[in-house]
Amino acid sequence: MLLHICRWLQDNSLISVINGTAWTAAAAEIVHYFSMFVLVGSMVIVDLRVLGLVGRRQDATQLAARLFPWIWVSLALNFLSGFLMFAGSATAYYRNDIFYDKMGVVLLAIAANLVVQQKVRAWDRLPAMPAWAKFMAVLSIGLWVGAIIAGVEVPALTGVG
Amino acid sequence: MDGSMVMFGHWLQNRPFALAIAGSDWAYPLVQATHFTGLSIWIGTIVAVDLSLLGVGKKSSASLQLSDALFIWNWIGFGIAVTGGFLLFSISAETYLTNIAFLTKVGLLIPLGLVLHVVIQRKAPTWEKSSETPSLAKAAGFTELLLWLCVATAAVLIPYVG
Repeated sequence: MLLHICRWLQDNSLISVINGTAWTAAAAEIVHYFSMFVLVGSMVIVDLRVLGLVGRRQDATQLAARLFPWIWVSLALNFLSGFLMFAGSATAYYRNDIFYDKMGVVLLAIAANLVVQQKVRAWDRLPAMPAWAKFMAVLSIGLWVGAIIAGVEVPALTGVG
Repeated sequence: MDGSMVMFGHWLQNRPFALAIAGSDWAYPLVQATHFTGLSIWIGTIVAVDLSLLGVGKKSSASLQLSDALFIWNWIGFGIAVTGGFLLFSISAETYLTNIAFLTKVGLLIPLGLVLHVVIQRKAPTWEKSSETPSLAKAAGFTELLLWLCVATAAVLIPYVG
């Protein structure tokens, strides 16, 4: 069933034109990389603020309120460009174990983003960041770095992408 | 291509560390991941300041002073990105030194981006304090965003033109 969808995607004429034309394929890659930098970088800033390692004079709630919209916009652009890249070789990714690992780590990292976004205001009201807030921040950084490592392992170890 | 540059590339890619990375299955992706992690911090901190200058997402929280707060991490990100980037370059330096996209990226776009970045970093604390961001600040922020996007574009094009 899933394989069927992958095959259909890959044979879709629009998808094959996008992936088969140099400038559109390159454009998808550029958007994917740049939005990833903004997504991970902005989230790491929020995490470092929770850890007390960045701009302590800045209010964590305000910083998060400023950065989270960009984080979600970058995630949307990252997903869209990533989907186009995936669709072009969908059947190869379907058989690629490391690609599943990458998606798993990315989902966990997004979940950690949501927890930090929900909780940062409450943490900020306390006299000091609680230990579990710092744990979440470290986890979030670790998951995003893990997502990057898994991302580069897909082509490096499997030749797909 | 200038002969001395090719000779340098040849020398660099035959250094033991370069040969070790090239010869290992896991070292290359880890160096790549290092480069991308550094870039995330570098680009993330730049975009945060530039979008703020442009007034994107700036509502009630006008009192945020991002440029100074992010200064250290901005340059930590740059250091990590350059370290990873140099190692990636060193394993096939000869090829990179004959690649027009790579030469444009490293020889033209990155120096331009760095100059503008340092100018913005020196001015941003003043710009951020003023209640209305000067249009010069907005133009600088917008140009810097475009420049780093061009750097990413040149990087992606390396395998396309090589």
